Amino acid sequence: MTFQSHLASFLRNYYIYLVLIGVVLLLSVANLDRFDFFERGNFLNQKNIINILRVSAPILTLAGAFTLLMVSGYIDLSVGSAMSLSAVVYAMLVINGMPFLPAFGITILVGMLLGIINGFLVVRLKITPVIATLITLSLYKGIALLLVQDGVSAIKSGGGLKMPAWFNSYGRSGILLGLPMAFWVAVLVTIILIVIQNRTLLGKYAAATGGNPTAAKLSGVNTGKVVISLYVIVGITAALAGIARSSFMSLGDPLSGDGMELTAILVVLLGGTAFSGGEGKVLRSFVGALIIMALTVGMLTLVPAYYQTLVIGGTLLAAAASNHLVSRKAAS
Amino acid sequence: MRAVDNVSFEIESGAIHCLVGENGAGKSTLVKMLTGVLQPTSGTMTVRGISHTPKSTQQAREGGIATLFQELHVVDELTVLENLTLGLEKSWFGFQVKSDLDELVVKTLAVIEPSIDPSARVSTLSVAQKQILEITRAASSGASVIIMDEPTAALSEREVARLFTVIRRLKSADVTVIYISHKLDEIFELGDAVTVFRDGKHIATKPISQISDRANLIEMMIGRTVFQQYVPRQIALGEVILTASSLSNSILNDVSFDIKAGEIVGFYGLVGAGKTEIARSIFGADKYTGSIQFKGKEVGTSPKKAIESGIALVPEERRTQGLFTSLTIRENIPVMNVGKVSQNGVLQEAVEIEAAQKYVKQLGIATSSIEKHTEKLSGGNQQKVVLAKCLFAESELVLLDEPTRGVDVGAKTEIYDVMRSLADKGTSVAVFSTELEEVLGICDRVFLLYGGSLEEEIQNGKDVDIAHIMNVVTGGVEHAAQ
Amino acid sequence: MSISVKKDKSTQEDIKMSNENFITLLVVCVAIGVFLFASLLVPNFFQFQNMVNLVTNNWAVISLGVGVTFLLVSGNFDLSVGGIVALSGVLAVWFAQSIDGANALSSGGGLPTYLAMLFALAGAMAIGGLNALFVVRLKIPSIIVTLGTMMVARGIAQVITHGSQRNTNLPDDFGLLGNLTLFGTTIKLPVVLMLSLVLVAVFLERKTVFGRLTYWIGSNPVASKLSGIDSSRHQTYLYLFSAAIAGVVGILLASEFKSGFSNRGMLMEFDALVIALLGGIAIAGGFGSVIGMFFGAIILAVVTSAATGLVLSPDWQFILKAIAVFLAITTQTWALARRNR
Repeated sequence: MTFQSHLASFLRNYYIYLVLIGVVLLLSVANLDRFDFFERGNFLNQKNIINILRVSAPILTLAGAFTLLMVSGYIDLSVGSAMSLSAVVYAMLVINGMPFLPAFGITILVGMLLGIINGFLVVRLKITPVIATLITLSLYKGIALLLVQDGVSAIKSGGGLKMPAWFNSYGRSGILLGLPMAFWVAVLVTIILIVIQNRTLLGKYAAATGGNPTAAKLSGVNTGKVVISLYVIVGITAALAGIARSSFMSLGDPLSGDGMELTAILVVLLGGTAFSGGEGKVLRSFVGALIIMALTVGMLTLVPAYYQTLVIGGTLLAAAASNHLVSRKAAS
Repeated sequence: MRAVDNVSFEIESGAIHCLVGENGAGKSTLVKMLTGVLQPTSGTMTVRGISHTPKSTQQAREGGIATLFQELHVVDELTVLENLTLGLEKSWFGFQVKSDLDELVVKTLAVIEPSIDPSARVSTLSVAQKQILEITRAASSGASVIIMDEPTAALSEREVARLFTVIRRLKSADVTVIYISHKLDEIFELGDAVTVFRDGKHIATKPISQISDRANLIEMMIGRTVFQQYVPRQIALGEVILTASSLSNSILNDVSFDIKAGEIVGFYGLVGAGKTEIARSIFGADKYTGSIQFKGKEVGTSPKKAIESGIALVPEERRTQGLFTSLTIRENIPVMNVGKVSQNGVLQEAVEIEAAQKYVKQLGIATSSIEKHTEKLSGGNQQKVVLAKCLFAESELVLLDEPTRGVDVGAKTEIYDVMRSLADKGTSVAVFSTELEEVLGICDRVFLLYGGSLEEEIQNGKDVDIAHIMNVVTGGVEHAAQ
Repeated sequence: MSISVKKDKSTQEDIKMSNENFITLLVVCVAIGVFLFASLLVPNFFQFQNMVNLVTNNWAVISLGVGVTFLLVSGNFDLSVGGIVALSGVLAVWFAQSIDGANALSSGGGLPTYLAMLFALAGAMAIGGLNALFVVRLKIPSIIVTLGTMMVARGIAQVITHGSQRNTNLPDDFGLLGNLTLFGTTIKLPVVLMLSLVLVAVFLERKTVFGRLTYWIGSNPVASKLSGIDSSRHQTYLYLFSAAIAGVVGILLASEFKSGFSNRGMLMEFDALVIALLGGIAIAGGFGSVIGMFFGAIILAVVTSAATGLVLSPDWQFILKAIAVFLAITTQTWALARRNR
């Protein structure tokens, strides 16, 4: 291989890390002392980084599973609602006296169930994934809203019930390097998913199902089981994300996951995941999530909050365009 | 009518056994029975002494029969090794573990084609290499018979040579290869024995050594040497309306020909000869180098421009390329000439209905109503609807790619009549077909194609030498330089 | 061995109406049925005024549904319409606000109302052009593109309104269009426009080349190309058409409420998609009618207003919509499969 093709291949594999470094550098250079959220001066100080990583726990948890699902050629637009519903369930269980571990465990089971429903609709009933997960997006959101009584916006302390003091330690209290358990769980989940993608049959079959489903089936791969498993994994990570968000905010907000599916799509696109399936890496999506969160939070200090939607929308379009152009070039 | 009638023969184990026959002779039906796609109504099949009655492709594979398809069944995003072991891996609670399978597969690959790196991503492989990959997979998963249907259609000469080496290595591993091809040179070079089909019947099975030469084989394939049913048309032909010079692209090789007004020309050749490519180039659907002049001007670069200048195409695959299956007969027909059924953008329903009824009658489309959804029509009737679409365009040159494939005999004749009456009125008709009877039955001139080149032009008339034609389209013409 | 070829059976069938009309008829029957059923459950439901309200209260979603339906039939999504509604309303207000306002949110372009609205419409169609560029030219999946442009449109509206709304310093005639009533009745202009749009749409889809092109492209893109159709141009027109509708809806809403609110039209794109699906439009393309979408809107309106009538909390609408779409898709698939056996 020539130097040029070496360079091209290096860029293709590692561009995302370069983008991350670039974004961090850019934000460091900008003047951030206008808001209390950040300590004066440098973006790269400990308090800022901890803040950003704490807030990023949900998307960091979700990104890898979402990537694997898209690698297999399928999508889940209901992750935001699943996350909200999990947050509400978790908060409800805790505020009514259940201790951490059982509440945690039951919420995870709820996430699995939500994933099974998605898998059933898509694989057994053969409903197009976009429509099927739009249906469940609405369904899960509705259930979350109903679980919170009228007149109250979320499950939180008040009206005779009090959220225990330990509730927000999962999402807020630093246990290692100043970062909370929610973050480290996200890291653990990502590591597990990297291993799944690279070292297990599920990872290999996901790529096969997305790359050439006919070939996969002819080879004896049970693509239905593969896809349902992936939806279940997404459901579990959505539940984890909901627990993280709920703990961070000390309440169970049925709208907390709104828009998460868009963020997830943006993040995996940044990480080079193709919509048609077959391509995509868990680690790259993790980095993509870091980039988006750094941008989002860093942006908050530079421009007013109401610029956010525009910037995210624009980034989504840019990421989709460059993703598509790159993969078309590679194919030719 | 039977597609395959009372066929019996044996294939020796570890041999390269070739199947030859014209289109529709029964080869693919036989293959479908071997691979479990169709079930025989009578008779038996045995593989290595064991009865073989597959009801599905899965069962056929379990019985040891593997097939190499035209569409490649490999996953580009995985590596060679991952593809070879797909579905057969040993695992430890879901984790991939190195097993004997990996070693076996790598060894088999090294024997069959050492130049392919097992850790390479399949997307970096060429089509020929992917083909070899599929063969390796079949061999290493224990297939005792591998069926190959026209495998060299898309390969270069070097790649063909490499494929042959691979096939011979399979032979030494005691794998039987059933090789279907119309390229007789290949059969003589590669085959140990050959089975000839004609009209659904088994004609002969002989070792290659017992066949004296090409002519001998061709005679067995076609059973008659002379075609006598052509009835010359009484109409005088017009001026030249289309001239193609040095037409070339990835498939075609310096093709030149012309077509006169009111003439019916045929392009005859077997699979991969370049017929569809020529049709699509004329129609502006494919790129090419060289020149195609229609009515004095270079043809358009898109189907839209081609239709506007007076050319219409009946595509090869009617369901996927020609028909709007979710729409009715009436809604399908006007698409190539919407201006005729509309005024200022508003559809004139009466005109549309009249046109649809006219074509239903003229073409004999068997339907109780023009409001029937085309996806429910039989193959022959669907083809007639596509034909009606093109007729409605009122073009001066109509291209028909495999116009009667999968069409019953009655509809075939009706379609031929339509083509003749079109030509009698001065429209030029070009037929691209793999059926010799069809081409010789209606065409005034026939262009013979092989391997992307136009080998010969034949004036149709009494007593056409079929053996010679067969020879040409199966590669019998020597080329001075390759 | 021998094998026989089966004789074809299709000549023996006798079809009375097309699949599309069958599904549309099915939707109409379901709409009527659901209404009658709701009348049994909910007190005071079976009233003329209530029936009228079902249509008039939903004029915006039905109008958006027209554009979304055409695009679905051609094989594409348009999820940007809700964002365009917000953007065009905000632009109209911003352009019409007088220049010399007290603060940033009270000052605008100072243009006369009709010009402000015209420019707002242009802005809406620019988003439509953006959709066309990404979907048709760059060939990126329409679901991603239109989600992105929806955010861009709404994002621009949010920037212009600093995250809330603009509602001061407007010329007096700004509220005219949105509140105009017809000949002394209580029917507002937007409703009349919506009904006209639906009628025009039905005409377009059945009786014009434009409509027929949409069906051809959606039914078989490959065959369309080989039949000489320029699908790029047509799809571009469709996206501009849908954006224009959304633009007008946004302007009328801004006029009705005399404000440009960046949250307007939130989630309307999904409602438009829902009523199209309820109305029998196939996701695959090439199938479905605007009439079905209209009655799909009626079904949704009956379900949601019945829920309100039964004093169910408004949060129920999400679950009801999910169930309605699920039932619609599964029964339509089942009904068609049985009919065509």
